Amino acid sequence: MRNLLTRQILFFGGKGGVGKTTCAAALALGASRTGRRVLLVSTDPAHSTSDIFQKPFDGTEREILPSLFGIEIDAADEARRYVDAVRARAQALFAGRTAARALEQLEVAASMPGMEEAALFDRVSRLVADQANRFDLTIFDTAPTGHTLQLLRTPQAMMAWLHALAHSRRAMLPDDRQGTDQIAAALEDRIARLDAFRARLTSRAITGFVLVLVPERLPIDETARAAERLAEAGIDVGAVIVNRVLPAEASGEFVEARRRQERVYLLEIERRFAPYFMVRVPQQPTDVHGVASLEAIAAALVGGPPSAGRIAAQTGGQADR
Amino acid sequence: MGLGALGRNLRDILFGAAYGRYQHELRRQAVELTDLFMLLCYLELMGVPNPAAYYLLEVYPLLFDEFHLWHRRMGIEHSPLGSLPCC
Repeated sequence: MRNLLTRQILFFGGKGGVGKTTCAAALALGASRTGRRVLLVSTDPAHSTSDIFQKPFDGTEREILPSLFGIEIDAADEARRYVDAVRARAQALFAGRTAARALEQLEVAASMPGMEEAALFDRVSRLVADQANRFDLTIFDTAPTGHTLQLLRTPQAMMAWLHALAHSRRAMLPDDRQGTDQIAAALEDRIARLDAFRARLTSRAITGFVLVLVPERLPIDETARAAERLAEAGIDVGAVIVNRVLPAEASGEFVEARRRQERVYLLEIERRFAPYFMVRVPQQPTDVHGVASLEAIAAALVGGPPSAGRIAAQTGGQADR
Repeated sequence: MGLGALGRNLRDILFGAAYGRYQHELRRQAVELTDLFMLLCYLELMGVPNPAAYYLLEVYPLLFDEFHLWHRRMGIEHSPLGSLPCC
């Protein structure tokens, strides 16, 4: 997957439990070893990334290992921070009783459903927008497929509304207020930022989506659907990682029986995901926990020192694109 | 009278000639456009989902005065949105 490291933004997605977090962490580790400044972003409230690196993550970027930074976004925190900022601005705008009423109104508005998802989306879009200035590569370890696709489709729905709002605002403003209206300016500023986010998201040179699955029935179907949706949204699938493939050296009657079934699924994966760059990651003899155990997977993903060669990657599908 | 002032007067005369009798209609349209905008902004609070609601939050403080004028113009003494305090 070295070819993918030329991109600036990678999203990892897949069905719950297929090893997204592990693969994202391993790729981040592997990429940071090539000298890139890497930011690993977790949006998973389960703190799995902290567990893997055995270091606490929070809402601010921290250097976990040399040139590898981590951040864990908490949607509720983000929403709170945004509301606080708006509240501070409202307080600066009004005085006395008016301020109290404006704040009350704001409180009601801030309690509507969907605030946290929107706050999460906003943070992700800001990280994407600032990315190039601060990191060579940003890797997003996202929530299970459905959520993530919804998150990435958010701008389309939002854009339509923001355009309608800005247009309606402009229509109602008299000529002499067109230039100074803060509301129209605020709406148009959001439109411009969302445009920039979408442009980066749908640029093949900048952003890639990595789909992770295991050779089993349900993950194959869900991943195929995700690939379709991403294509619809104009987001490039940079690679498909087939995780937890039985290693060649594993043997025994039980393992052989599993392998026969796995072969059927692997063939199906080869067929259905033929257009994508594919990487197989062998099942590990032990749980992945801590940096040392990530090394083998990092080596499988980006290549690495021969010492990790026991669990070598077998690549399928197309070669470098 | 300088040339600039003459030009301005001429412009006012032409404007009055062209729009004078439509003024009432134009004002009514302006009010309708304002109502439409306010409605779009506060849809979410009336229970109609608005995907841009999050970004509207930062607009609400700026709209606070207009919101008051709006519900007054609607002939409603106090905030029409029970949950949305105004006056």
